Amino acid sequence: MLHSLDIYLGPAYFWLFAGIAVLCGLGLLLARHPLNGAIYLIGVMVSLSGIYALLDSPFLAVLQVLVYAGAIMMLVVFVIMVLNQAKDHQIPFFDWFSLVSLALPVALGAALVGAVGERTPVAAGAVRGEVATMAATMFDFSRAGPGYYLLFELIGVLLLAAVVGALVLAKRNLDSPPPEIPAEEHH
Amino acid sequence: MNHIEPFQVQTLAAVLFALGIAVVLARRNLFLLLMGVELMLNAVNLSFLGFSRTFAGEASIAGQLTPVFIIAIAASEACVGLAMVICIFRGRDTLDSDAYADMKE
Repeated sequence: MLHSLDIYLGPAYFWLFAGIAVLCGLGLLLARHPLNGAIYLIGVMVSLSGIYALLDSPFLAVLQVLVYAGAIMMLVVFVIMVLNQAKDHQIPFFDWFSLVSLALPVALGAALVGAVGERTPVAAGAVRGEVATMAATMFDFSRAGPGYYLLFELIGVLLLAAVVGALVLAKRNLDSPPPEIPAEEHH
Repeated sequence: MNHIEPFQVQTLAAVLFALGIAVVLARRNLFLLLMGVELMLNAVNLSFLGFSRTFAGEASIAGQLTPVFIIAIAASEACVGLAMVICIFRGRDTLDSDAYADMKE
């Protein structure tokens, strides 16, 4: 019954989410404190997740909330809270140089929006990104397959390297003395 | 089937990408710089997804699988980037990127 409204509801929800995303992006640009900026960025990510769901890709919509808004932004907010003890509580805002540098993104954005001119229609055979479809393509081990599983393995190695690298960078000194073992009490 | 045209998606992606570049260029806080990069990665993901709908079959799935890898790379980038912020914060005790201008030598 309600499916007859899809012609109007789909674009309406898209413009709603797009408006939220752009407003939150502007909020990130004008944020007073990094914590406010992080909240605005989470707003962008959640509304983008809604847009992904509207664009027939429910798997990516879930991944966006789980990994981006959940894991990555949680890490960012956590580190902001840890480093909030900075001596200068002055959050640097715009100076004359940064105002000049704003001309570049404005020009680039205008050029990109202008380049969007050609109206490619939605293909009739576009596949809806269900979990089963995506998994069947990603883990297609056949010789003639696309071979995404190799990329998947490489991403695993990359994540492991990133974790080890972050540990090495953030640890104060690598050769710290081993913790002292308390002497056994003899009775 | 809803009726969202691909050019609308690409317009939104372009605007978000420009906002990300503006954050990276105009702000001086290290965290805001990192978040600007994240915003740009999000815009690229949206662009991939918008273009994936203009293809049929295998190419459509490929356009939806690439953001998965981009998200994983963004996760490792945030991990290492935040560790570097912690690392350089120890020596200088400030988050203003102008304070690190002497690192270029």
